[in-house]
Amino acid sequence: MEARPQVQDDPELLARFTERIAAGDQIEAGEWLPGEYRFEAQRLIQMHANSEIMGALPEREWIPRAPTLARKMALTAKVQDEVGHGMLLYRVAETLGRSREEMIAELVEGKARFHNVFHYPAETWADVAIIQVFVDGAAMQTQGALRSCSYAPYARVLKRICYEEDFHIQLGLDVWRTLAEGTPRQRAMLQDALRRWWTPLIHFFGMPDRISPHTEKMLAWRIKVKSNEELRQQFLRRFVPIILEYGLEVPDPGLRRVDGEDRYVYTEPDWEELKRVGRNGGPKSAERLALRQRFYRQHAWVREAVHLWAAA
Amino acid sequence: MGRGVSAEEPPKGAEPPSGGAVPGGDAPGAPGRGESWERRLDTPPDVWAVFLQARKRDPHIHVGDVHAPDAEMALIVAKENYTRRDPCVNLWVVRAGEIHSTTEDAAEMFAPATDKSYRFGGSYRKQQQIYHSGWRLSHRDEDQ
Amino acid sequence: MSGTPPAATDPRVGAAFREWLLRTADDELIIGHRHSEWTGFGPDIESDVALSSIAQEEIGHARAFYTQLAAGVDDADRLAFARAPAEYRHATLVERENDGWEWSIVRLVLYERYEAERLRLLSASAQEPVAGLARTLLREERYHALFADAWLTRLARGREEGHRRVQAALEAAWPEALGFFEATDADATLAAAGIVDSPAAQRRRWEAAVRQVLEPCGLVIPSASPKEGGRRGQHTPEFDRLHDQMTEVYRSDPEARW
Repeated sequence: MEARPQVQDDPELLARFTERIAAGDQIEAGEWLPGEYRFEAQRLIQMHANSEIMGALPEREWIPRAPTLARKMALTAKVQDEVGHGMLLYRVAETLGRSREEMIAELVEGKARFHNVFHYPAETWADVAIIQVFVDGAAMQTQGALRSCSYAPYARVLKRICYEEDFHIQLGLDVWRTLAEGTPRQRAMLQDALRRWWTPLIHFFGMPDRISPHTEKMLAWRIKVKSNEELRQQFLRRFVPIILEYGLEVPDPGLRRVDGEDRYVYTEPDWEELKRVGRNGGPKSAERLALRQRFYRQHAWVREAVHLWAAA
Repeated sequence: MGRGVSAEEPPKGAEPPSGGAVPGGDAPGAPGRGESWERRLDTPPDVWAVFLQARKRDPHIHVGDVHAPDAEMALIVAKENYTRRDPCVNLWVVRAGEIHSTTEDAAEMFAPATDKSYRFGGSYRKQQQIYHSGWRLSHRDEDQ
Repeated sequence: MSGTPPAATDPRVGAAFREWLLRTADDELIIGHRHSEWTGFGPDIESDVALSSIAQEEIGHARAFYTQLAAGVDDADRLAFARAPAEYRHATLVERENDGWEWSIVRLVLYERYEAERLRLLSASAQEPVAGLARTLLREERYHALFADAWLTRLARGREEGHRRVQAALEAAWPEALGFFEATDADATLAAAGIVDSPAAQRRRWEAAVRQVLEPCGLVIPSASPKEGGRRGQHTPEFDRLHDQMTEVYRSDPEARW
């Protein structure tokens, strides 16, 4: 990972830039950027791209096992979308100065980060429902908010991504409903999957933000649009009712709505686990990175062959 | 030059100068400032811009880019990367690095500084509607 | 309308036609399954996405044929998931594991020419509604062949190592590709009834079509004997593993809705 830039920005350009953002303007690819803005935006978008690519791994295990032809096609299409989102996001990250090749190489070497949820196993078919409803639902909160971020190429791509994620959640709800209304074994499988995914979901939004100059700047620059806690609350407001509607149990006994408020209190999760996972120390991190690396190396000659053919 | 015959009066206080130069010689974009108004897009050589034509009458719209080693492969992958959920009858690809662009600085060159209502049937209100509400774009079916 | 194709007033011909359709459905399902396994692991993101679409379409084609054969969509799933391995009629080439990108591309090139030929025969067979279905599906096959051919060319002509690997994949695939044309009694029955022509004639047309894409790449057509068995339900341990995995969730409760 690169260190924060130490370069001094031209104060006049910086002032004008800050003014523009404050006025609600958006920045296009190729425009002048403060060094820190470029660094933070690039890091955020790259992590998002990495997450789409790594996010394909838990769900794709269930493509060969999908229990109906319709589910088989739908799940393949859903995972395909995630891979496609990776493509769109790497392109945006590329406009901030790093090549796609560089970013992918960094990912497969285990040096880059991706969202916590994709470090966990997808143990049963029911996990597919949880991932499609709740994990995608969680991502939607962040992605939806960032549609009004200041970097226009990212904002544009997020519009398309949110549009597609909406279909995923619809499909996910269909699987969820089928299992929730199914046999006792299916319901139990669903409840168990929800239990295993709950902490990673709460973790997903990050620790409640410290009030720091850094956070303030990210918000002022609209690289961050909503706070971690705001997004987590948004998620709970939208998705806890779905659990209750189907008579399933929220896996946190300490979770409840605050009387008279649109807010939930919940059991504080173990933040150390999130930090460990963030350093690629999750239950499936090593295995998945190794898998990615294996294919990346296997395809090295393919990449060379097409390059040579094109150059001829 | 006057605004010509018009049935509508512009809102008070919003009358643009009719003809003539923009006031203030040091304004951004004014000649002599020495900033570039055009450039080539700075993209890696294997990035191709994809333009999609939704239906026969439509213009091709830039929907995004693909990485591909050559034009044929770019077209082949563009189909599945950009038309899975969008109607399409035709695709173009062009190396993104071949695209020449005006710069963001030059954006204000495009906005009418002086009254052009003579292009809008003499209606200043119509001109303002189009420039400020994003409505009635000439290339969109839904705006016709 | 029931699942039995009409115009086959002779029950023997009807049964032979159903066997032919079952081969088609099974070929598409199993190769679609193999292609879907590439999702997330392709050599580049764009091609990963493109092959994934091809996989979805192949599975969709399978579903359309199973639906024709069965009483309805639910029974289509039963046909796809509830049979024992020996009851599947796909050619063994499609059940082989994805042994590298070049292997899957070579297989796709060989398969697409076969599938296009089969769908053309079906379209011309006057066996509605299957003939109409075949005409629709042919439209999707064109892209599959474009994708496969473009990749084959780049792999086989890009560099020496690529050429070697592609030739090796072709050598490995060829005997089982000939297995597409394995003949059973059904083929003789259908040929006699004038619905489709003989496997030998189909193979000749297929070889000519395949030659047109392989030779410009400098690839040598192997001379090998066919490795058959798939059309009679004789499959490999690779299919046992595939079948196990593919039917795992379904079999955990075949009566449940999934």
